[in-house]
Amino acid sequence: MTPDPHISWSHGAFLLVEHERMGDGTIIPEAGGRLRQAFRLVRALVRHQKRTFFTAVSGAAVFAACTVLSAVVVRMITDEVIDPRFRQGSVAASKVLIVLGALILLGFVRAAGVVVRRTWAWRTMWRVVDSLSGEVVDQLAQQPVPWHRTQSTGDLITRAGVDAEAATAVLSPLPFASGVVVLVGLSSVLLLVTDLWLGLAAVAVFPVVIIVTLRYQKRVDSFYDAAQNELGRLSAAVHESFDGVSVVKSFGAEGRETERLAVIASRLREARLSAVRLRSTFEALLDGLPTVVNILLLVGGAYRVRSGAMTVGELTSFIYLFTLLVFPLRIIGYALSEVPHSLAGWNRIRSLLDQPVAPDPSLTLARSPDRSVVLNDVHFSHDGEREVLTGVNAHIEGGCTTAVVGATGSGKTTLLHIIAGLMPVGAGSVAVPDGGVRLVFQEPFLLAGSVRENVALGADIGTDAIEAALAVAEASFVHDLPDGLNTEVGERGVGLSGGQRQRLALARALVRQPAVLLLDDTTSSLDPTTEAKVLANLKSVLVRTTVIAVASRPSTIALADDVLFLDEGRVVAHGRHDELLSTVPAYRRLIEAFEHDRAALDAAAATPVGVEP
Amino acid sequence: MSEPISRWTAVETIGRGVRAAPALRTGFALTLWLALVGAGGRVVIPVLVQQAIDRGFTESGVKVGIITVMAIVAVVLVSVATWAQRTAVLRLGRRSEEALYSLRVRLFEHIHRLSIADHSEERKGALVARVTSDVETLAQFFQWGGLAWLLDGTLMLLVASVMLAYDWVLAVVAFVVAAPLGIVLQKVQSHLVRAYDLSRSRNANVMTQISEVVAGAETIRAYDAGEHFADRVKVASRERSDSFIRAGTIGAFLFPSGEVFSVFTVSAVVGVGVLRGPGSGLTAGALIGFVFLTYRFLEPIAEFTEVLEQTQTAVAGMRRVLGVLEIPIGPPEPELPLPLPAGALGVSIDRVDFSYRTRGDTDEPPVLVGVSAHIAAGQQVAVVGETGSGKTTLGRLIARLADPTAGTVSIGGVSLTRVANADLRARVTVVPQEPFLFEGSIAANLSFARPKLSLAELESSIDALDLRDWLDTLPDGIETEVGQRGGQLSAGERQLVALIRASLVDPAVLLLDEATSSVDALTEVRLARALEKLAKGRTTIAIAHRLSTAARADRVLVLDHGRLVEDGTHVALVDAGGVYARMYESWVASTSSAGAAAEGA
Repeated sequence: MTPDPHISWSHGAFLLVEHERMGDGTIIPEAGGRLRQAFRLVRALVRHQKRTFFTAVSGAAVFAACTVLSAVVVRMITDEVIDPRFRQGSVAASKVLIVLGALILLGFVRAAGVVVRRTWAWRTMWRVVDSLSGEVVDQLAQQPVPWHRTQSTGDLITRAGVDAEAATAVLSPLPFASGVVVLVGLSSVLLLVTDLWLGLAAVAVFPVVIIVTLRYQKRVDSFYDAAQNELGRLSAAVHESFDGVSVVKSFGAEGRETERLAVIASRLREARLSAVRLRSTFEALLDGLPTVVNILLLVGGAYRVRSGAMTVGELTSFIYLFTLLVFPLRIIGYALSEVPHSLAGWNRIRSLLDQPVAPDPSLTLARSPDRSVVLNDVHFSHDGEREVLTGVNAHIEGGCTTAVVGATGSGKTTLLHIIAGLMPVGAGSVAVPDGGVRLVFQEPFLLAGSVRENVALGADIGTDAIEAALAVAEASFVHDLPDGLNTEVGERGVGLSGGQRQRLALARALVRQPAVLLLDDTTSSLDPTTEAKVLANLKSVLVRTTVIAVASRPSTIALADDVLFLDEGRVVAHGRHDELLSTVPAYRRLIEAFEHDRAALDAAAATPVGVEP
Repeated sequence: MSEPISRWTAVETIGRGVRAAPALRTGFALTLWLALVGAGGRVVIPVLVQQAIDRGFTESGVKVGIITVMAIVAVVLVSVATWAQRTAVLRLGRRSEEALYSLRVRLFEHIHRLSIADHSEERKGALVARVTSDVETLAQFFQWGGLAWLLDGTLMLLVASVMLAYDWVLAVVAFVVAAPLGIVLQKVQSHLVRAYDLSRSRNANVMTQISEVVAGAETIRAYDAGEHFADRVKVASRERSDSFIRAGTIGAFLFPSGEVFSVFTVSAVVGVGVLRGPGSGLTAGALIGFVFLTYRFLEPIAEFTEVLEQTQTAVAGMRRVLGVLEIPIGPPEPELPLPLPAGALGVSIDRVDFSYRTRGDTDEPPVLVGVSAHIAAGQQVAVVGETGSGKTTLGRLIARLADPTAGTVSIGGVSLTRVANADLRARVTVVPQEPFLFEGSIAANLSFARPKLSLAELESSIDALDLRDWLDTLPDGIETEVGQRGGQLSAGERQLVALIRASLVDPAVLLLDEATSSVDALTEVRLARALEKLAKGRTTIAIAHRLSTAARADRVLVLDHGRLVEDGTHVALVDAGGVYARMYESWVASTSSAGAAAEGA
């Protein structure tokens, strides 16, 4: 079946080590022969794992040498032990012990070679995986937000995970394959030395086995790829069908749905059967043909023994060696067939790593002399066509709390992202004070880790500071969690409500004592009482901090010193809430709408006539 | 899924699996024989070496003629064996693919026929996994492990027989020396399995952390936490690699242990053979042939340990698959169905209780408790209640997507348990809250209700509901593709398609689970218009989320925590000042401010 159980185990789940940025970039699949590409790929991969890799290769070489030597021992067993004993009646006991001792010793050394080869090959592969995924992750962590917005999330995750493993998959069978090359070389010499003509006949078979395996592997892989695609289609169809089970049942269509899925399942079956057909033939032929060659060698050998050119023992060891070689030969074909997959994975990774780090948008920010934030004719567009901000002008006083108010799509969030340095200033200028700007997102992101880690995010922050920030953010619920600050939250941890997540995210910003605090509707998931408390805390603690808050609750807006009223990407009004209420009709209408919205939502929450799960 | 199945032994599971997929058994004996013949190809060389040495290379000289004849026989045997091996592998592949196919189809059918109570959200993923990944563990098994059992199993059997036939003493020596290998391999194997389990879970951890770097890109930039996030991945990656390297190291010792045992076994065989000498009837050729056979015998053993693990995985997969087939299918067909009367049908609900099936021992709270009501033929009824009041479930029971745990539901005076499923589906139709559309055209989705209708007939049903103007707004009319789950259409448009689909059935009873999602004004008008046309002359039960629907109905049923607490006309219930009156009050308040909000925006 598979040449080597560990290769079968994951067919592409192996790999790697220290491996720095390489300038050699992608390898063009069609340039040079397969061997050349394989060579360049491997050189690039093992660059910083040379020692580990060559340890594995030397293990394989030891294995190869011992295999060839064991054929010599088989000749000795035949000619010097069995033949004398059975044909001449006796053999010296010391002779028997020496030969068998040599056999056992060789067995151990050969096994040791295998252990070294496998251990270090595996180590090479995983260390290279480490460094490749490390490089990808560094790239992901360095690229700014605008770059991330242009990428597909799934693709990026694939680069660091699946592709890193695919790229290195070739490293696992490689030391064995190189050992086999040594084996083939040594055996060829031994076979040719034993008997030139018989040797030539045997050696001629080697390239045939390699080429047949390679071609076979390529074809069978394409069948398995096709089957894999069919399986994907089947899974999607099953998902859809089971999701729609109530429709299926309502129309009594169980039978029809089963038939529809059966058709898709039958395509999977057919794809698999094509692979099985090819496999059954080739596997049988790859077993049978070398055996036939071996039989012919025996006949040829008989003539050579008769003419006295070789002994029975030499012929026996000749056949023994040939039997031993057929199987490892297939490894070469197998390793070569891995090259295109690995190359594809490698090139996908390179195409990501070779992208320069995009300029940091925060470099487009200017410094304001005091604690104010100054916006001067700010323009911004995501796609270069429709402008989200069309000339925003505002001078936001240091130490004040300013509410940014506007309908959906008026550009509030984009404005905050620009001030935070996450998105570049398109045209115009934005000046922020020294001392850090921190943005609290509307949808807080928690990583799978402890509360403490989520607040600190790697910064060196003491427990007292974290506790103080949590207190201001009204996040005392943390103390009720099973392990307090050390409770795991996020993906596999305790589930937190939206409001709890928002308060942790707020603490994350507060603990950094920023000069400017940006809140993007940060308190929207809190109940009105908690929200009021949080806002009161902020007011009393952040006396010197400039707070800019996107808000839609009238109660939140009313607490601000100032209101920046945005509409369709420009500032319509900037002033006190009550002033704007009485002087700007559009503002009044919006606030009334917010109020009604809120009232409706609160009513719905109190008496949910709404969503049935 | 139900507990006792997990206690089936491997043998029992395999037995039941074969019964569930009889293709596996068909012609298996022949496959086995062919594999045995195929294995013969691999003992040809040792036997030929023995024969040649004993009969060809005699002391009187090399008898090339005899060797040539033997070689010709050997080539013929190898050819036959090669053919037999190919045929055996092909047969196993065919039969197993056939079996997996029929198993999948059985699962599709069975799962679709399960009660809706077994299709809860949390179970859906598990059901999909049964048909995909669990059946896939079986497929993987047949492609590698099963094949290994067949080929290596027969090979070892044959080699052992040939060894015994040559010289039973040497054979016993070989088996005894090699036996401890089995124990060693099993020990190492269990360590290996644990090491790989750990590696896999760490691998999953790495994937999680990588996805955090992508998903948290904004947070990373806003808090300069790039280094921290990247370090987390690197630490996790390092841990993963360490555990994979550890597992690989264990594996590295596992594989060549066969090697070490073969040299010991071969030495023992040669030593004992030489000690006994020609006097025991042993020949030089037999002893050399024996050395070849010993290598052949031990070759597959290391691989067998892998195969065993894969076999365990496959048996576990099979167990889960069979577990699903053990769940009784949903509302069963009556043995003696009663016909439904023609014309409009009334609906009677008589002391109905319902609980969803639980996964463990925990008691799921009942969803409906002692609900009774009679709905006259042609009546327009609205069922209202808070989230979790059980109103959606009540609708499902009336459509017999599940049977009540106690009490009865009847239509037209016939208990639902006595109505043939086909009859029921023809007379009662549900328009679900989030109508589900399959990927395909609108026409294909409509055909789902009645497969044989022509396009013209489908179009006329659209006209009948006054929806021609809507159809004309679509790019390809009735052939417009709706996309995955109908994603190309708006929520309101999906409801329109569902209404047309329901009208094609021409049901006597229409069950309407009202949508909660908001719909644009124009679609709202179209929906109301179509619904009015559709409801005319039918018994209509609306699971209402908007109290305006309730206000228009002939009668309102109010559910509260699974109990029917109020029953009457809208006006009467508002006056009564109970649950309904309170709901109505807050609804009026919220909609009027929502109206103001719409005006303000």
